[in-house]
Amino acid sequence: MHQRMNDLIHALRIAGFAALLAAVPVAGYSQSATADSYEPGRTPDGQPDLQGIWSNAVITPLERPPELADKEFLTEEEAIEYERRRQEETNMDRRQADAEADVRSAYNDFWWDWGENIAATRRTSLVIHPLDGRIPALTEEGQRRSDARAERRRLHPSDGPEDRTLSDRCILWVSAGPPMLPTAYNNNFQIVQTADHVLILNEMIHDARIIPLDGRPQLPGDVRQWLGSSRGHWDGDTLVVETRNFTDQSNFRGASENMRLTERFTRVADDVLLYEFTVDDPDAFTESWTVQIPARKTDDLMYEYACHEGNQSMIGILGGARAEEARAAEAAR
Amino acid sequence: MRSQFPDSRVTTARTLALLALAVMLASCEAPMDQTPATDAAPGDQQAATAAGAAGQAPPAADTAPNLNGIWQALTSANWDIRPHASGHSPVPELGALAATPPGIGIVEGGEIPYQPWAAEQQRENFANRVDLDPEAKCYLPGVPRATYIGQPFQILQTADYVMIAYQYAGAVRTIHMNDPGPSPAPSWMGWSVGRWDGDTLVVDVTSQNDETWFDRAGNFHSDALHVVERYTPMGPDHLLYEATIEDPNVFTRPWSISLPLYRRVEENAQLMEFKCVEFAEEKIYGHLRKQE
Repeated sequence: MHQRMNDLIHALRIAGFAALLAAVPVAGYSQSATADSYEPGRTPDGQPDLQGIWSNAVITPLERPPELADKEFLTEEEAIEYERRRQEETNMDRRQADAEADVRSAYNDFWWDWGENIAATRRTSLVIHPLDGRIPALTEEGQRRSDARAERRRLHPSDGPEDRTLSDRCILWVSAGPPMLPTAYNNNFQIVQTADHVLILNEMIHDARIIPLDGRPQLPGDVRQWLGSSRGHWDGDTLVVETRNFTDQSNFRGASENMRLTERFTRVADDVLLYEFTVDDPDAFTESWTVQIPARKTDDLMYEYACHEGNQSMIGILGGARAEEARAAEAAR
Repeated sequence: MRSQFPDSRVTTARTLALLALAVMLASCEAPMDQTPATDAAPGDQQAATAAGAAGQAPPAADTAPNLNGIWQALTSANWDIRPHASGHSPVPELGALAATPPGIGIVEGGEIPYQPWAAEQQRENFANRVDLDPEAKCYLPGVPRATYIGQPFQILQTADYVMIAYQYAGAVRTIHMNDPGPSPAPSWMGWSVGRWDGDTLVVDVTSQNDETWFDRAGNFHSDALHVVERYTPMGPDHLLYEATIEDPNVFTRPWSISLPLYRRVEENAQLMEFKCVEFAEEKIYGHLRKQE
């Protein structure tokens, strides 16, 4: 029943998105095929064709900023102003007065690719549920876990590689998921479909999820994986992917290893793949929450991102920490 | 749709003809010829479906055979691609747990035609393999090592792309069936452009960096490596994998390898996660740990 209710809510949202795409002329989106009349093409196997390389680059914030607390959508003028301001703030080619701050901008603007536009819906957050556009509060247990993690990080920031973030270690990229989120660059993922499997290849650290569609059971509960265990099915023209069996270190935004993730991929126009995910985790969050990102098709190719192989940063971070300790020990003598 | 798998010997003969200018190859010594004849029985995709848990897809294109599925090499070639007897573990503390299993090798003719300096380099690599082998550091394996590194891989085939996802290190390759032009930069897994030659998927692999090895024995190459792979169905659950290897910086002539690939037919076979970074961190960063 719960699942059917979710499906119904999802269908209403797709319809809402379709109406919006049809009604609002939005920069960057094709107007030739609007979603209310849109029928995705079919693969040779007769499935809705979601294949291609898609970009999640969108500058809508994940959570609604406090100053927009009661505002679910921006007007067209506000959207233009938001985009202008955001591009100004993130422009890394501005030189900093202070040398240390300037060095922190060592990646100049060429390397960044946040995207230039907010979502076509002009929503004020990517979180669409709860309605306040914010990730729900952590449960008591979730808060305890989060505090313990922060304390550990404070006391042992760089004793060894295991103390660093999963991104620093090139194990998991925060944006690559699952679930996927926009980030500073390489916001691309490729979908490849066969009759009984879907491959979702994320550009960031070349993570390829291969999702069976044949109704097989999930992996046994005691088999835990960084990317979890994913199984998929078609709900009309929507690909639904359910993932569980995460590790207790995966820690997506404070989630526990018991997180149940439901992702939905719906092609609503030739060049728009509506990506939604819902996080269900009563051990960590006081309610479930849902994110919506309209991913845009790109004709660019994806290239290899060999993160671990080129990880000079870890050597610099740990080596720097040891040098600082040596200097402190010297000063104490 | 194809109705019959080719006789593997015909394919081998075709390969030999292509290689005739490059090298006189000893014939009929490769592992593929030891595959029981029953495995090469004619079959069609329905037979493949019945036999293989992951082989339920119809052909991706009308004329191309269907290579979809999970495949694995059954060989000790990752220890040494040349014929080799069993041997001590490279890490004595592991005793027989990591002893080298023997193998008849996958190199046609058994010999790798190294230039003299390169033969010496390979011996040095072997002596220092525990520290130098990129597999020990969980680095991407390159081609062809990814094929026989000892873990399964999955082929997902469409008309435009053939994707190969390897369980080892989560490595993945995009084989472009529509040539997108030259590689923009060298990479660990190289730049793969594919085409169909009858029933054979032929993949031209260029632009690999010089960091990967062929095996744990220190067999190596430079960034001039050029690999041409051939994937040919031998039956519903077997592929013949052949590769020719050219690298004028390291070898005196092109050479080739061949081995069969076996479909993983068990129910619910799937790639699992082997993100090995955490297993290599002590090796790579251990010397930078805080000392108490």
